[in-house]
Amino acid sequence: MKAKLAALPMSYRLAVTSRVLAAVFGGYLVAALASVTLTLWLPLNRAEAVVTGMTVSFLVYLVAVLWCFACRTAWSAWVGLLVPSVILATVSGAARGLGLA
Amino acid sequence: MKEGFRQAMAWLHTWTGLVFGWLLFAIFLTGTLAYFKDEINHWMQPEIPSRPLDAAASLTLAQTYLQQRAPDAPSWQITLPDARDPGISVSWQQAPARPGERGRFTEKILDAQTGAEVPVRKSFGGEFFYRFHFQLQMPYPWGRWLATSAAMVMFIALITGIITHKKIFKDFFTFRPRKGQRSWLDGHNAVGVLVLPFHLMITYSSLVIFMAMVMPASLLVSYGSDRSAFYDEVFPEAPTPERAGIPATLPAMAPLLARASEQLGGGNVARVTVINPGDANASVQVARASSDRITYEYGNDVTFNGVSGQILDATPAKPLPMAIAGSFYGLHIGHFAGPVLRWLYFICGLAGTAMIGTGLVIWLGKRQLKHAKTGVMPFELRLVEVLNIASMAGLIGAVAAFFWANRLLPLSLDGRANWEVNTFFIAWTLSLVHALLRPGRKAWVEQLTLAALLFTTVPLLNALTTAHHLGVTLAQKDWALAGFDLTCLAAGLLLAWAAWKMQRAAHTVRVEKTRRETTRPITLEQGTR
Amino acid sequence: MLLALLLCYVGFTALCLSMPRHHDELLGRKPSSRRVRNLKLAGWLLLCLSLWAAVAAKDWGFGLVDWFAVSMFSALLLVLLMPYRPKLALSLAALSLLAAPVAAWAWW
Repeated sequence: MKAKLAALPMSYRLAVTSRVLAAVFGGYLVAALASVTLTLWLPLNRAEAVVTGMTVSFLVYLVAVLWCFACRTAWSAWVGLLVPSVILATVSGAARGLGLA
Repeated sequence: MKEGFRQAMAWLHTWTGLVFGWLLFAIFLTGTLAYFKDEINHWMQPEIPSRPLDAAASLTLAQTYLQQRAPDAPSWQITLPDARDPGISVSWQQAPARPGERGRFTEKILDAQTGAEVPVRKSFGGEFFYRFHFQLQMPYPWGRWLATSAAMVMFIALITGIITHKKIFKDFFTFRPRKGQRSWLDGHNAVGVLVLPFHLMITYSSLVIFMAMVMPASLLVSYGSDRSAFYDEVFPEAPTPERAGIPATLPAMAPLLARASEQLGGGNVARVTVINPGDANASVQVARASSDRITYEYGNDVTFNGVSGQILDATPAKPLPMAIAGSFYGLHIGHFAGPVLRWLYFICGLAGTAMIGTGLVIWLGKRQLKHAKTGVMPFELRLVEVLNIASMAGLIGAVAAFFWANRLLPLSLDGRANWEVNTFFIAWTLSLVHALLRPGRKAWVEQLTLAALLFTTVPLLNALTTAHHLGVTLAQKDWALAGFDLTCLAAGLLLAWAAWKMQRAAHTVRVEKTRRETTRPITLEQGTR
Repeated sequence: MLLALLLCYVGFTALCLSMPRHHDELLGRKPSSRRVRNLKLAGWLLLCLSLWAAVAAKDWGFGLVDWFAVSMFSALLLVLLMPYRPKLALSLAALSLLAAPVAAWAWW
């Protein structure tokens, strides 16, 4: 961080804020959806599946957060979270539809 | 962010570390202290005498006491003494004021040898540190949310730190003291990498511990609003029979201990709960000691019919996912740890605290260098400096103040336990004010010196205010009490050394400023170009 | 736990010495490539032995915990001793190497 705080352009600050929001909220959403998907699809009884889903979710959150800051632009942070979210939501819905839940 | 993966991770590591560092330092320090919370309790309530352990005798004494004091209580709870917790703790629920309500709980400590009530000074003891480190003295559930969020950020900081550390294997054994900023970074890397298994375990486990609160999506999807069904499945408890309404004296419970131990595969009993004592359907629930296995077990393990002695149920073995989650919990709190392992836990916790602390110092140090020539610090850096001092030296001083309050506050003071805690927070606040008013170096030196003074004199304070001073406790082999005094002394000496080093470094900087800036002295903390 | 600790400490010292920079710092000369290989081998072997000792003493659950605890502690000890008391760091390793068979025999 060589530039002094005052010299940072507004576009940079907006980009960082965007990534942070994506990481915190978007990341949480992906992690939650991943836990739900796991819970619905794992061939375990209800309580065991829930415990497994929750335990693993934080690893997903980690990856999501790292993605938000590693990707090239702030936009790709959001896209990179949206796509898995849609996929996971669909897969969970499918489990429900197939009567697995 | 366009500069590459490693740089992005370094950026993330730097900023997550700074923004949450002060909070995480407090969590780690108080959590580390919590590993010795029983010993801290013992020092802060020295009135409870240590006796040789005899579970059956203790249980009998407790039963006699409760039979006299609370024969009609809906439930009794007895916590048996163990190697780290000398008193028998009995508590009972009083009959509720209105039906359907819960009655008030009363708790007393009994002497493990005589069964008499011990007039013990009111104090939260080590429990304060334990609760603070995950509740942060904030109302439920906000403190836990903040603490768990901090844990997630800690996890990010750890992983990004690993990614950023290019020479993690090459520099595994590298520590070069007396080289200014370089040494701080080496130190940060050393306590980080060498103790990494602990840091990863403690951080991830803290997420697992509160996962049902912070990541409930799968729970809600599977159970809807019926959360209690989930908990019943995860922590199955034997259903206790309803009150029969037929009075019956509860036979002596001591023989049940041996039978429970058998059921538990030779395990130790920690807690006995009696539901509806004095009734024909009284049930006795016996819980295993946490020291028996790694997986932290809630709930009760063997349930007996109190009158007939028949075994009603035993908690079944845990399925794998619950065993894993339980192991995370168990590893985190380390109840199973014997004395040597407990010290190792403590050392690892201190290493984690040091990792965070050195990180905060490095963050500021790197940026302060750019302003060393002008000697004026921009507002942001000054803010970081003040927060560094208050959250580290100030917090350590506040811990000492907490112990001092325990010995100095009058025993009969109303709300004494709360006043000990207030002293802690008042001291911490004063350290913040002090850091605001004094220049950085001086604030560090003064606060470290004060903390050093307070800690080194704890054994003296103890000797002057109680009869349980080192001369007595060492002779009686009361290791908890003696160990506390000695550890405070050692901590005080370490703080004094730190204060002295800070003072010396400040001197060298001042001398350096009068010369032309050409040479590179190695004693400098700051100003190395 | 003691045996595991002793073996860990020697193991880490061996691995440390297998690095030319540290070998030079501690023993005053660079190691030959043969020595590097042998030290690395010895170091890893000792760490594995230490793990075996910990698990044999207390079963997998508690054994693993013990092993991680003593390995972290011994690594910390070594790294903090090296710059301040290098001779002590090395003598501790030598002593541990001698004491290890005694500890093993005593435990058996």
